[in-house]
Amino acid sequence: MDEKYSSNVLSSGKLGMVEVPNARLTRYIILLLISKVLKAVGIFESYDILKVVHIVQFIFILKLGSAVVLLFFQKPFSSGKAISKRQWIKLLKHSVLGCIISLLGFFGLTLCGPLRTLLLFEHSDVVVLALLAVLFTTSGGGPSKTRGAALFIIAVVCLLLFDNDDLMAKMAEHPEGHHDSALTHFLYTAIAFLGVADHKGGVVLLVVSLCLKVGFHSASRKLSVEVGGAKRLYALDNLVSSAVLLPWVIVLSATTESKVESWSGLILPLALIVFSVMILEFYVEAVCAAKMEAPRCARYSTAALFLSALLLAHFWSHPFTDRLLSVRTPLHGHGGTEHVLSGGVVVSAVIFVLASSILSAPSRKGQKGTLVGYSPEGTPLYNFMGDALQHTSQSLPRFIKESLKQILEEYDSRQIFYFLCLNLAFTFVELFYGVWTNSLGLISDGFHMLFDCSALVLGLFAALMTRWKATKIYSYGYGRVEILSGFINGLFLMVIAFFVFVESVSRLFDPPNINTDMLTPVSVGGLLVNLVGICAFSHAHSHGAAKSCPSSDHGHSHNEHGHGHAHGGHGHAHGSHGHAHGGGGGGMNANMRGVFLHVLADTLGSVGVIISTLLINQFGWLIADPICSLFIAVLIFLSVIPLIKDACEVLVLRAPPEHEKELDHALAKVEKIDGVLSYRDAHFWRHSASMVAGTIHIQVMAEVLEQRVIQQVTSVLKDAGVNNLSVQVEKEAYFQHMSGLSSGFHEVLAMTQQMESVQCLKDGTCIM
Amino acid sequence: QGTIHPFRRTHRSVLGRLSQELRLVTSDRRSWRILAFGALNLLCTGCLLMWCSSTNSMALTAYTYLTIFDLFSLVTSLISSWVGMKKSSQLYSFGFQRLEVLAVFSSTVLIQLGALFILKERSVSHGRLLVGTSVALFFNLFTLLSVRNKPFSYVSEAASSSWLQEHVADLSRSVCGVLPGLSSVLLPRMNPFVLINLAGACALLLTYLLIEIHNFVAVDTASAVAIALMTFGTMYPMSLYSGKVLLQTTPSHVIGQLDKLLREVSTLEGVLEVRNEHFWTVGFGSLAGSAHVRIRRDANEQLVLAHVTNRLLPLVATLSVQIFKDDWSRPALLSGPLPHGGGAGDGHGHGHGHAHLSSSPLPPLLPDPLTSTPSKPLGPPPEFSFNTPRRPHSGLGLAYPAGPAAQGLRPGLLQGASGGISCCT
Repeated sequence: MDEKYSSNVLSSGKLGMVEVPNARLTRYIILLLISKVLKAVGIFESYDILKVVHIVQFIFILKLGSAVVLLFFQKPFSSGKAISKRQWIKLLKHSVLGCIISLLGFFGLTLCGPLRTLLLFEHSDVVVLALLAVLFTTSGGGPSKTRGAALFIIAVVCLLLFDNDDLMAKMAEHPEGHHDSALTHFLYTAIAFLGVADHKGGVVLLVVSLCLKVGFHSASRKLSVEVGGAKRLYALDNLVSSAVLLPWVIVLSATTESKVESWSGLILPLALIVFSVMILEFYVEAVCAAKMEAPRCARYSTAALFLSALLLAHFWSHPFTDRLLSVRTPLHGHGGTEHVLSGGVVVSAVIFVLASSILSAPSRKGQKGTLVGYSPEGTPLYNFMGDALQHTSQSLPRFIKESLKQILEEYDSRQIFYFLCLNLAFTFVELFYGVWTNSLGLISDGFHMLFDCSALVLGLFAALMTRWKATKIYSYGYGRVEILSGFINGLFLMVIAFFVFVESVSRLFDPPNINTDMLTPVSVGGLLVNLVGICAFSHAHSHGAAKSCPSSDHGHSHNEHGHGHAHGGHGHAHGSHGHAHGGGGGGMNANMRGVFLHVLADTLGSVGVIISTLLINQFGWLIADPICSLFIAVLIFLSVIPLIKDACEVLVLRAPPEHEKELDHALAKVEKIDGVLSYRDAHFWRHSASMVAGTIHIQVMAEVLEQRVIQQVTSVLKDAGVNNLSVQVEKEAYFQHMSGLSSGFHEVLAMTQQMESVQCLKDGTCIM
Repeated sequence: QGTIHPFRRTHRSVLGRLSQELRLVTSDRRSWRILAFGALNLLCTGCLLMWCSSTNSMALTAYTYLTIFDLFSLVTSLISSWVGMKKSSQLYSFGFQRLEVLAVFSSTVLIQLGALFILKERSVSHGRLLVGTSVALFFNLFTLLSVRNKPFSYVSEAASSSWLQEHVADLSRSVCGVLPGLSSVLLPRMNPFVLINLAGACALLLTYLLIEIHNFVAVDTASAVAIALMTFGTMYPMSLYSGKVLLQTTPSHVIGQLDKLLREVSTLEGVLEVRNEHFWTVGFGSLAGSAHVRIRRDANEQLVLAHVTNRLLPLVATLSVQIFKDDWSRPALLSGPLPHGGGAGDGHGHGHGHAHLSSSPLPPLLPDPLTSTPSKPLGPPPEFSFNTPRRPHSGLGLAYPAGPAAQGLRPGLLQGASGGISCCT
């Protein structure tokens, strides 16, 4: 028969892989493969049956049939300890959940056919758990698991996008009126509401119910221990579920007329399904789980299932199999056109097989240790204990609450946060309205706004990070993050300016026709939002100690899909630009500056859109748009330069320009301190907005008290603005000690040279 | 000596300075090569951009950005050769090595932002993909292999490996399980730039085939997204690494070594504790740092300083150690009756005059490094020799307030006071 035929193919194909385990496992593996192939046949069969039998009735029959068989085999009432009332209630809940999941699964079967159902729904728990671990935890288990997860997702996406099945499915099946119960009707409307085709809705439904199934299985493990074994639980569960479904089935059969012509013809296929899907698979899985490790079990079973499903899908509607399977003749009026094999399905099946074999492979990777140090021989030493202790996972609401509290504590971050919220709200209103009215321009503008929000998020994060405590790695504290974030924001603006420039140059030669209908209200809204932002941030600027500049401006985002830019904005830009140069030196909070520039850019973009819309509507000057864009791109570029330059100076550790003169004086003063001969290696740099760090080496005469020199030097330099200083005070003795300690010839040479210079100086002063 | 004005500005126009620096750079033969490659690169990029706009292919645009990245890396190597010639000045007291780091950081960040912009666009494509791909691939590999780029090769070795590298390593490990002969080719760490160029070319080839055979236009977008993601993956570790250098963080690979050295330092004779230790990298590789070392009141500052410096100097090239003592100006009599061992101040006052007493030839290491500072028993019993604590008020008769309050003295007072001291004894 057919199943025999394909099982032969598979087992001969699979036997090659058996060489890894010892030979005793071979028969279990063959048993597993055969049961999986039978299951595939059963699912195909049940798809045919579901066309005539109502889904609830079908599930009821399945559960009842298997319950009867299992009661006979398992004898759950006569053996084992009695089940208490509480356990019955738990069983009831369990079976209701199980019913819901199998309803979803079989409903997905009716939607997207047996092959796709098998591909999506019949993954083993190991695979799905590994997938979820990769997706939602940081320690997924190495790159191979990540690859497996990516393959899995690609396969699902392949089914969603590249599978041209839905057309035929639509043609063949249910124009309204097929679904005859409240439940199926509800599910249909839910899927129709999502706006996807039935087949794709089925894919989504199956993925969701797969996750539910895995969760259900792991939840039922505890109950099975309580009840006394998984087999007993399964038997009882089937019984209880059929009892749960009974009233529904009675109501259904009373209210609707059945489409089944003869139930007697259905008995054999139903028995086959009950046997293969419900009973045989369960027992074989239980046996194999006991004999083999779960990953290998999962690997063989998925491979067998999917390959046999592919073969069956190919041969199911073949005339040859029709002759073979005389059973199917009563049902076979529907034709085999729907849910055929397509390239996308084959590709995704192959990818599914690969993904599940990767995901179910035991991870070879060892524990990840942290480097502690080096042994005397030079081999690295690792600490493996830390991971176990550090796993304090914070609950999400609490985390959000804490970070909100932190954000609202400080002025800067509060400001950014409020503006971000406003911006996001506006964006979502715009997106929603765009989807509602199906306007592509609005939607793309909304996405541009979202893109802009990334700069705000960066700024917010930097403002938050700045207040973190200093750690071992960040020994000066996190204050520098602010400057780096300002620098990145500056680079961001430069990239934006570049793209606007290129775009507008290409438009200059070929001005496109612009549809100005929706632009004005949107840009006015954007302008209002951004004006609020400007008010807030400019207030922040005058508020803060930093007198930084409302310097720059640049339009982006909006103009990119063809809105012009404003001359008004241009004038404003120039005024503020001059101001920028005046106060540029003092503008320490680079982060806020970057954010402010972004907001100003958006504002100008909106203004530009409004004015170019006016120009185009009134005079029809299409060329006005690219010219304005060009102008604004140049302006953005020019205005970002001061920000970038300042940030660069800080990042390459230049001596702070605003303290230059004072440092100069201070060093002269240090030289005049009594007992000081000279200084060397004077390094001063700005670390963050609030910290100027410095190191200096000072040579003193032998009789001077070092601590006093340190105190004096520190206070002199503190007056010059250096607030994190370390002073190394060296006497002649130091160089002598050093030359004694250092054995290397060159070091001795260098030290003696240094010593001589010190002596010289000392002589000079002594003579004086 | 005359007064020194270390921070004197030189006024010159930007263009003049630029041309002068350029002349400096071009005096070297090697930078000629870089410049030649840069010109070639510009030509190639222009060609590719034109093809991009004619084919309107996102994937090719994403791949072209890799060529632009090559241009950035050429600029970076030019900067690094300039940095090599430049001495540190008073303003840029650490030299210009950080400019390399900054160049690496900004070119990686810029290319990531460019990839972000790719993800924002959408387009349809037709036509000359294959030519563009092969030209770009050939040119990129040619540049990568023939120009020696010091900063980028350092970063690509030092930074943690990207996800692309990890996956390739994982795959090739399993390939080597089947074919052990390939292990010498596949097992060493792949150069990330070569890898991303090859991977991007593969993606483009696939796109070309699918478009030509099946006319799947959506593949173009998909492979553009894939190339952009690979660009992110490749550049992110490098920008993380160089960003951390820019943030003046302690590089994590030296932390173990540093800890060991600091433990050693804190067990030196006379040392009580090490605090405010900051260690960070100046450019790629050279470590700078500062630390404050608190020592016993009777320890010899210069000796301890020499020992501490001697320990740390092999690892930390630019080092400054500030030695400090608690209550050094407090009159010894006041602190006499204080019991010691509390850790706050081993306050048996005595001047530093006899501090040489404790300078045993080499400070012995204590057996247990962890019981380091405050609980360490004092070496020699304190001797009360009152002859030397030099009071600073000799000239003007100003009495210093005792104790830590002395730290906050205004400099004017200090200046006045120290001016009054005669330096001979």
